Amino acid sequence: MRFALTDEQRDLQDAVRSYLRDRFGPQQVREVYEDPAGDAVPDKLWASIGEQGWLALMVPEQYEGFDAGLVEASVIARAFGAGTVPGPWLGTVLAAEALRLGGSPEQQAAWLPRLASGEAKGAVALIAPGNSPRPASAGAEAVQGRLTGTLNLVEYAAVADVLVVAAADGLYLVQPGEGVTVQALDALDRTSRLTTVTLTGAAGEKLAGATPEVHQQLLDRAAVLVANDLVGIARKALTDTVEYDKTRVQFGRPVGSFQAIKHHLADLVVHVTMAEHAALYAAYALDSGAQDATLAVSIAKSKAGDVARQATSDMIQYHGGIGFTWEHDAHFYFKRAKRLEYAYGDATQHRERIAALLIDAAPAEDNSLGGGTAVGGTGASQGTGVAAGVAV
Amino acid sequence: MDLTFSKEDEDFRREFRSWLDTNLPAEMRTGAFWADKTEDESFSIRRQWEADKAAAGFAGIVWPTEYGGRGGTPTMKAIYDQEMIRANAPTTVNPLGLTFLAPTVMFLGTEEQKKTIIPELLHNKTIWCQGFSEPGAGSDLAALQMKAERQGEEYVLNGQKIWTTNAMHGDKIFTMARTGAPEGSKKHAGISMLLVDMHQKGVEARPLKQMSGASEFGEVFFTDATCPVTEVLGGEGNGWQTAMLLLSFERGSSAISQYTEFRKMWDEVAAYARETSRDGKAAAQDPVLRQQLAKSLVELECLKYHSWHVLTQTSQGKDLGFEASMTKLFWANTFRDLGDVYSDIAGQEFQLTAGARGASRQELTSMALWSRSCTIWGGSNEVQRTVIAERVLGLPR
Ligand SMILES: Cc1cc2nc3c(=O)[nH]c(=O)nc-3n(C[C@H](O)[C@H](O)[C@H](O)COP(=O)(O)OP(=O)(O)OC[C@H]3O[C@@H](n4cnc5c(N)ncnc54)[C@H](O)[C@@H]3O)c2cc1C
Repeated sequence: MRFALTDEQRDLQDAVRSYLRDRFGPQQVREVYEDPAGDAVPDKLWASIGEQGWLALMVPEQYEGFDAGLVEASVIARAFGAGTVPGPWLGTVLAAEALRLGGSPEQQAAWLPRLASGEAKGAVALIAPGNSPRPASAGAEAVQGRLTGTLNLVEYAAVADVLVVAAADGLYLVQPGEGVTVQALDALDRTSRLTTVTLTGAAGEKLAGATPEVHQQLLDRAAVLVANDLVGIARKALTDTVEYDKTRVQFGRPVGSFQAIKHHLADLVVHVTMAEHAALYAAYALDSGAQDATLAVSIAKSKAGDVARQATSDMIQYHGGIGFTWEHDAHFYFKRAKRLEYAYGDATQHRERIAALLIDAAPAEDNSLGGGTAVGGTGASQGTGVAAGVAV
Repeated sequence: MDLTFSKEDEDFRREFRSWLDTNLPAEMRTGAFWADKTEDESFSIRRQWEADKAAAGFAGIVWPTEYGGRGGTPTMKAIYDQEMIRANAPTTVNPLGLTFLAPTVMFLGTEEQKKTIIPELLHNKTIWCQGFSEPGAGSDLAALQMKAERQGEEYVLNGQKIWTTNAMHGDKIFTMARTGAPEGSKKHAGISMLLVDMHQKGVEARPLKQMSGASEFGEVFFTDATCPVTEVLGGEGNGWQTAMLLLSFERGSSAISQYTEFRKMWDEVAAYARETSRDGKAAAQDPVLRQQLAKSLVELECLKYHSWHVLTQTSQGKDLGFEASMTKLFWANTFRDLGDVYSDIAGQEFQLTAGARGASRQELTSMALWSRSCTIWGGSNEVQRTVIAERVLGLPR
């Protein structure tokens, strides 16, 4: 029994955290924020991400990757959330995952090494905004290998060398060129770039192995990476708020000594911790093919979304006026959390998926969960399993 | 990451499960069996069954063999907890002794105390009460008033304890009393922890009826009751430190037993939602109730992950320290919220003590009621939040 990162995974975590601390802190994030016309891909940062191998974690060794899993990728996602790191990391990683899971050997050889090194950037349109996380078209239709349609809210399509598009009949690779128009959108969270991609008979190369099951896998893996980004945001928002409230004095004492704030932050740290567990387990469950992997994904995404919403709102509230200013970093976290909360299924949609899994049918008995019927054992006359009434 | 149990642990699971298969009669696993028993009858059946279990070697799982324990690992204890709930086994009648007193005795008791107290407790020869709370001292435990005056080789006790679990069944009580005066504003000084025989003229226990109708707790009155001066745990005047140590022993608890129990309850609530009609269709199809049920499941599964986390730490010999307050606060709220989801599904039928689902609905209702106490005892939610804020987050006092 060991529910924790391995030493190697911890080293990876230290590496990415210390890189961000030394080279890409809030000041650098702010520079991206102040440059809305820019592409939000800081050159040095992107080069380093590639050099450090942070795009290559899940890529097979034969394509110059590390053959590691979603847990490792989640370590990066979490640190990037805490650092509100801009750039097409997620899109590139997911494009590579689409190729790994659904591409032909030729397609893999053509793209995976380049995506793994960061030489090529990827973007994905795997789901139409607002939809539940199920395999369906993201807005395009394919007729004889030509794609037509509108893909809404696609991240970083303007800089992508390859786009993975969910059409009605499967996944396609699309490269910038004829029949592909990308329109940049002005968006709140400037640590990303949102675009509308219009396809008018664009050449698409089908990912032959991308069955609906693979599409679902990709949506689940995306949800887990986003959940990890969200818990990274939530933990950082909490930590910064605690630090501020330790020193901000009103009524002659630090505001963090007021019970109203203390108790609220105590609840928050509990839920942030639970969301961290859930996001970690979901990554592991997919890596290990656990029976409850789908459930774990939805638990993680819904919990992380709810918690990040709470933590980033609290960050503003418990900073007072300064927390509402452009100059303070609080809005970086708030806006990023808002973007990700609704990505790859929001909390309500994931809870509905949980309901479909566990409420619509009685779950089969699983001894590790101790399922089965609840009869006896807790009658008032018998005392209860948790009846150890205790003082203080 | 490795979420499997070791071979030794799994062997232990098999062994214990097969013991339960043979030694826990099917009828004792049903609510109906307990429904027509009085509290006293239930208590004595449970007391005996638990003693038999101890005699078979399934007690004190992580305690040293020299004091009658099994010498097992924290993961074996988790497995034990799971199997007990899985089998619908009767819960312990000696929770305060097992959770608090025994580990404290093991830590700072004399060899004599270890050799007598622990085995007697394991075999239910002595049922222990915890006498901390008083009418004027609940969350503010140090405000306690009970006096213990030294007269020769004895203390003479006068005062009152309240909310004492098992007051009517207790043989002995570990209790906090003033053996000296507070030092100025330091109310924590001058307190001692005494081990008092409840079968004596000066000790009177009276039941208190709980909102569920049961009387699991009561009041204990001390009127010139006595206790030998040798029966101090942790030394005279060190009661506060001893109590803090004692309460810290709940911290090793992984909450896997709470998870297992509440998850069973959730499954039962979901089944109930499938059978209950709401606007002409199953309550389980109501979009809002579905969301509430799913949300409750999310919290429950988080509790399971959290218990893995705690087990990972304790297996490596790490003390969770004040983070344990997070475990308590989270499970208590998760339990209470599940009770509310259940009542939302039951609706007006929640009022009925028995309903369409008979025994199991009664069961759910009594759990929903019981959950209201778990956010109070063992440190109320508010007390836990203060501990978390100050000791985990480091916010100023
Ligand atoms: C089922 C059950 C079994 C029990 N078994 C035992 C037992 O075996 N032995 C024993 O000694 N005791 C036992 N208790 C007592 C229990 O420990 C106390 O009820 C608990 O410590 C709260 O004390 P109180 O009841 O005096 O409430 P109070 O302390 O009066 O609290 C009233 C309210 O005020 C809040 N509050 C108190 N202080 C603060 C603060 N500083 N900041 C914010 N809010 C605050 C509390 O959270 C609560 O909501 C049991 C209680 C129950 C319900």
